[in-house]
Amino acid sequence: MSAPLDPAALVRDRHIIVCVGTGGVGKTTLAASFALAGARLGRRTAVLTIDPARRLADALGIAELGNQPTDLPRERLTALGVPPEGRLAALMLDMKRTFDELVARFADSEEARQHILGNRIYQHISDALAGSAEYSAMEKVFELSERRDFDLIVVDTPPSQHALDFLEAPRRLVEFLDSRLVQLLLHPALAAGRFGVRLFQRGSERVLHLIERVSGVSFLEDISEFLLAFEGMSEGFRERAREVQARLVGPDAAFVLAASPAKQATRHALEMLARLSAAEVPLAGVVVNRVHTWPGGGPTPDRVPTADREDEARRALAAAFAHTEGSGFPADEAARAALAVADGYAALVRADAESTAELTGRVAKAGGFVRRVPELSGDVHDLEGLARVAEWVFRTGPENGEDA
Amino acid sequence: MPLIPLLDRRLIVVTGKGGTGKTTVAAALALAAATAGRRVLVAEVGLDEHVPALLAPGANPVGYEGRDLRKHLRAMRIDPYEALAEYLGLQIGLRGLARRVLGNRAFRQLMDASPGWRELITLGKIWHLEQMKEADGKPRFDLIVVDAPATGHGLTFLDVPRVVGSAVRAGPLRRHAGWVEEMIRDPQRTVLLPVALAEELPVRETAELVERLRDQVGVAVDRVVVNAVTAAPFPPGLDDLDARLAALPGDLVLPGTPSPATLAACAAHLRARHELNARWMRVLADTTKLGLVALPRIARGVRGPDELALLADALVAPPREPSA
Repeated sequence: MSAPLDPAALVRDRHIIVCVGTGGVGKTTLAASFALAGARLGRRTAVLTIDPARRLADALGIAELGNQPTDLPRERLTALGVPPEGRLAALMLDMKRTFDELVARFADSEEARQHILGNRIYQHISDALAGSAEYSAMEKVFELSERRDFDLIVVDTPPSQHALDFLEAPRRLVEFLDSRLVQLLLHPALAAGRFGVRLFQRGSERVLHLIERVSGVSFLEDISEFLLAFEGMSEGFRERAREVQARLVGPDAAFVLAASPAKQATRHALEMLARLSAAEVPLAGVVVNRVHTWPGGGPTPDRVPTADREDEARRALAAAFAHTEGSGFPADEAARAALAVADGYAALVRADAESTAELTGRVAKAGGFVRRVPELSGDVHDLEGLARVAEWVFRTGPENGEDA
Repeated sequence: MPLIPLLDRRLIVVTGKGGTGKTTVAAALALAAATAGRRVLVAEVGLDEHVPALLAPGANPVGYEGRDLRKHLRAMRIDPYEALAEYLGLQIGLRGLARRVLGNRAFRQLMDASPGWRELITLGKIWHLEQMKEADGKPRFDLIVVDAPATGHGLTFLDVPRVVGSAVRAGPLRRHAGWVEEMIRDPQRTVLLPVALAEELPVRETAELVERLRDQVGVAVDRVVVNAVTAAPFPPGLDDLDARLAALPGDLVLPGTPSPATLAACAAHLRARHELNARWMRVLADTTKLGLVALPRIARGVRGPDELALLADALVAPPREPSA
């Protein structure tokens, strides 16, 4: 039985942290705050973001830069409490370039490389085949990891309806290359005569030809050209895909789920959790962003004031207002409004607790950590905001949002 | 020129950044239309169905065939492979074969690698639905609401027919893409409805979306929905109620009520949220020059038709005019 996971241990001990979650839940912010925490421990840290908000990108110094890590200036790091040995570099994923670099790596000749890069299907592959955003992100993580100049790599995954696309991308690519259809298209002669294969081949070719006829696009030709050009490098891809996947689910990596209390978002997070566990990907924990918390701690009241003391409470508050504000102040109206506001706020806190209960319960039961970052009233798009978020994520102690 | 009321459109394409409540807005809009006596179809284009759970909690999936969830309100999910099989079936009479081949996993991976057809076939299906007539010649649906992919993808989605039109020189596909294109760009029939939150990220993204719509895609957009807006928490004249609460004696004990400091913290939070929302709504109105439709934040969350009904009225009201 290993020690219970917590965010501080992750940024101290792990090599790769993958933040997963649906869009709009603050995944990028979370990834950046993990990276900042790593750098503060003196680790050489890189954060790979996919599509950061403008101001966060500016703050990280990657607004203009692309595919290679760019270090934050030392004076900014010092101001943020990063010791001299710590580093924080950020990079923004450039899908197309990552994939092109990969092709260049595995193509067996310059001619093959040009052939692939110029192929129409390849040019669109970044949108489709095997989820290329996911594949490219993973490839980039692997590349950074191989270079060994970072102790910690934090990665923000592409917004995706299915978090596991990220993890499954290499396997899907390999599966695709190995698939019977691809083999048939590559070696139609070999397949001829084999039982069952012919019918399928005829059927699929017929439909492809019909699609071509209707569309006027030379679909088949492009695809077979692409596959032929790709074949020579598929073994390299396959090998790489296996290594990438092994590293991502290995003991040096950790997955963290980002969530938010919105109904739709928790539903998606639960779906994602189920998929992660079905794929036997160990989840280190969940961070629920932007949760309404009851000020001052303690249990959230069901009603403010309690039902039996309504008039009494209002009169007492009105009297207090009359005393501090003097005559002429609408003390009764102010008292009513103040109580209504607190009652409304309590409803928000209760709704968030209720909507996240199942998610946090399941994660805790599986031995993962649960952290809640309170709604900070403002948007978080600068380094100071990140530091504030990091403070909540990396606090310890049950009174600070950690579930017992 | 006066705005065309939302419910008088033929096609409303709802889009927005992830987490803005796009699906909720599509469902509320469909409910508003059905309540107003319009025959409405709400179509999802994602991988999963979320609309039926909102309009009829506990309902079975509606699938590609679709189902009436209440009077005048039909819901469906447009699966591109189903639509392609249907299209090929209509074109060449081999729906069965097309379906079988399209069901093959390897074939799907091949199709997945080929760009654009999903968007085109989905829009083609929507065009087909828009063209459907009853026996008496009236349209089958008065209004079609599409829960479109998130922004970015949403624009690509609408731009595909144009791209196809320019890439394909002849043949039935070109003709069909032309029909779809005509529907999308008809400002009387079709409008894009962006959904935003009054916060920095969604506001900036929405402003970019509107700009690109105007510059590139040429699809009408006449208002922006701003979801989950925190209303002014205090009555007029009591704008600094949080500060006044904080100024009350710390030892004051109110019966059945948290301390004044706690009341002050609640009030301060809601005030900050309200001011943040108001600030970003001003930015949104200034940058897009569009009217805004503000939907209130619903504390308990949108669970079903009751909450949708709260949003429906606000949604079809005329938008607040952009600041001059």
